[in-house]
Amino acid sequence: MAEVSVTKGLIKGVVKLTVLLTVGFVCLFLFGKILSAPTEDGYRFFPMLGSRVWVWIIAQLHLNFAAFVLGVPIFAVSMEFLSWRRTDDRLDRIAYDFTKLFTLAYTLTAIAGTVLMVSLPLLYPKFMGHLMDILGPTWWLYIVVMYGEVLVCYYYFYSWHQMKDKKGVHVAIGVLLNFMGLTMLLITSSWVGYMTTPGGVSETGALINRWAAIKTYMWIPLSLHRLVANVVFGAGIAAAYAAYRFITSETDEDRAYYDWMGYTSAMISIGFSLILPGIGYLLGVEIYAYNEQMGIQLMGGFFAWLWVMQAILIGAILMFVNYYLWISLNKMPGGERYFKYVKFLFIIMLLGYTVWLTPHSVALSLEEARRIGAYHPILGNLGVMAAKNTAVVISYLATFLSFAIFKMSNKEPVVPWAKAGNAIRIILVLGSSVAMLGIGVYSYMVTSAVRVKVLSPIQFGIFFVTIIALFILDNMMYKNAKIIGEPRWGKMPERSQYALIGITVTFTWLMAMMGYMRSGGRQYWHVYGIMKDTSPDAYLPTHGYAAIVCSTVTVLFFLFIGLLFWSIMKLEKAQAAKGGAKA
Amino acid sequence: MKGGGLKLLAVVIGLNIFFTYIGLYFLPQSESQPPKTIKIEKGVTVDELLSLGEEISFSKGQCMVCHPMKAETGMRAPAISTIGGEMVKSAKERNMKPEAYVFEALVNPAEYVQKGFENMMPPIHKSPTSLNEGELIAVAAFLQSKGSQVTVSYPESLEALKEQIAKEAKKGGS
Ligand code: HEC
Repeated sequence: MAEVSVTKGLIKGVVKLTVLLTVGFVCLFLFGKILSAPTEDGYRFFPMLGSRVWVWIIAQLHLNFAAFVLGVPIFAVSMEFLSWRRTDDRLDRIAYDFTKLFTLAYTLTAIAGTVLMVSLPLLYPKFMGHLMDILGPTWWLYIVVMYGEVLVCYYYFYSWHQMKDKKGVHVAIGVLLNFMGLTMLLITSSWVGYMTTPGGVSETGALINRWAAIKTYMWIPLSLHRLVANVVFGAGIAAAYAAYRFITSETDEDRAYYDWMGYTSAMISIGFSLILPGIGYLLGVEIYAYNEQMGIQLMGGFFAWLWVMQAILIGAILMFVNYYLWISLNKMPGGERYFKYVKFLFIIMLLGYTVWLTPHSVALSLEEARRIGAYHPILGNLGVMAAKNTAVVISYLATFLSFAIFKMSNKEPVVPWAKAGNAIRIILVLGSSVAMLGIGVYSYMVTSAVRVKVLSPIQFGIFFVTIIALFILDNMMYKNAKIIGEPRWGKMPERSQYALIGITVTFTWLMAMMGYMRSGGRQYWHVYGIMKDTSPDAYLPTHGYAAIVCSTVTVLFFLFIGLLFWSIMKLEKAQAAKGGAKA
Repeated sequence: MKGGGLKLLAVVIGLNIFFTYIGLYFLPQSESQPPKTIKIEKGVTVDELLSLGEEISFSKGQCMVCHPMKAETGMRAPAISTIGGEMVKSAKERNMKPEAYVFEALVNPAEYVQKGFENMMPPIHKSPTSLNEGELIAVAAFLQSKGSQVTVSYPESLEALKEQIAKEAKKGGS
């Protein structure tokens, strides 16, 4: 690919985008003529699946790809920056590989986007007409920014090798790329923000103030949440890519590189996921501030059980991570010494997880339970969040410990206070676990307001202080530590890579589910409180039904992504063969 | 490694089947239907009014999102099972007719906030709940039946209800 000149690359990008947009507009026009007129209240019906499921699947697929192409550049450029400052070739290679991934993923993103752009106005003409009335200018701006984004992205990718000696400028282009990506994210979040927490319009939906319709309650917290989640997700996909390349690679050298790439990506992913609950909390606060009823409905009403599901999914992710780190000890000289601890941590988590998964009684929705006056063992009057938060912070702490153990497993501290340091570590971990558990139990006894506003932040606070303290302690203790041996990258059994894939699949599923909740939170409204959904799909389906859709989207997404991975590998092989023939 | 890619695909599909299984068999399976507008006819009996009011409270009104049926620790909003009696008490304290009190509680809740609770009850004649007048009277009757005498009826109470709605409107969207 390096042979393609920059100009050619740019032209390719612009042509692709223009063709897709043209196809989109032509389809809109043609289908608008061919299809029968929409119903009186403004709907057309998608055959078989129904409009909702069709749009649901396409939108989520598009969002998955978009999250990927917006998230990966953030750490591609970070890696490039690091490689430039430290002149580390391995970092440059990983940054380039990431860039290759998202540049090629653009096409798939844009195709899904085009299908969505055709489907929405055709199936929901009245609703989309309203959105265009209120936010139309942002859509045109979006197209302009999209062109900018594609130009910068293709430039960034195709100029990689040519600008080898101008790294500073190249990094700056990467930063610009992320700036464009952020703008696109802000624009799309404003649409969803308007639908969920509308502002700037009268009670009948007439435009009063466009800026107020853009700058809704949800806008900034949603954008922040998506930004961080995109990094987590993008890194996860990169880890999946590494796993795929690891498993299919034929040389030890490749295996070593992809093992390292998988490890690095997975740790970035998990590291960033640590701040998601905090931003999610902010997002929740804004939704409550907009409308208590919607907030409570989302947190404790119809969707209450999906938070349990969220805990199940986070639990699964953390178990995969712990399992992966545990196996990783194999490649650390001296790692054997720690097997028993990490195994212990893993077993604790597995036990906790099984307890979580055991249904205590027939699952009732919260409203049903309240109606018959029964208290649900998990939900009941206790509320889900307290139990969930406690389980999550403690599992995260265990995962952080596994990570710390892995990092130091090939080292021997030389500081004289190493013994005391170990004691401090144990006290820190046990102390904070007890404190967090205590808060979890105590929060069952107070009002929900105290639980949400006081106890949960304290719980998360303790967690963060603990890991920061552990981090500082380890850094001091292992300063100039004796290194027993370098990690043997590539010496990993194949099953470790399934754990990596597991992390990403689970996270993708979680994203689909959270997207459904965010959208379903509007209930039978297109625009909450302003424009009713009067279509046959206006009801919220059962959780089982939603789970089937989430799984369908996730499997489809991985099929496409797998195709992308596979074609990248083929391309590289073809190029290598060509290069080999030339030499 | 041969077939590695396929094995990865198997992991992807296996996990998705597992999550679908949890979604289908571990989580409760109820749907949430959009509300239907209930038309209340003149001459509706008290019993009919009560059962309509109960249905609205549990479905369209979404009252149970905040109000528990029986009192529980840490509850967000007053328990329904005793709310009628509580309202009569508060009405006496504030020197109001029970009828005026219950309507004010529904359409102008910010006017008087029960001790120990926050001001988060939405005016339920407005969007997004948007109960109509007949529905509001049915809900009021149902609430009164929980621990006190039912004094509202349809269409006799319309006057008192409209008075409270007008009061809320006068506040000017604040
Ligand atoms: C967003 C949460 C929420 C929802 C939804 C909600 N309420 Fe309330 N409600 C409250 C809170 C909090 C209070 C206590 C504070 C106050 O008096 O305003 C309250 C108070 C009341 C009172 C006054 C009780 C008294 O003794 O003064 C009545 C009556 C009432 N609600 C009825 C309803 C009905 C009927 C519905 C459904 C149509 C409903 N509420 C929906 C939160 C809610």
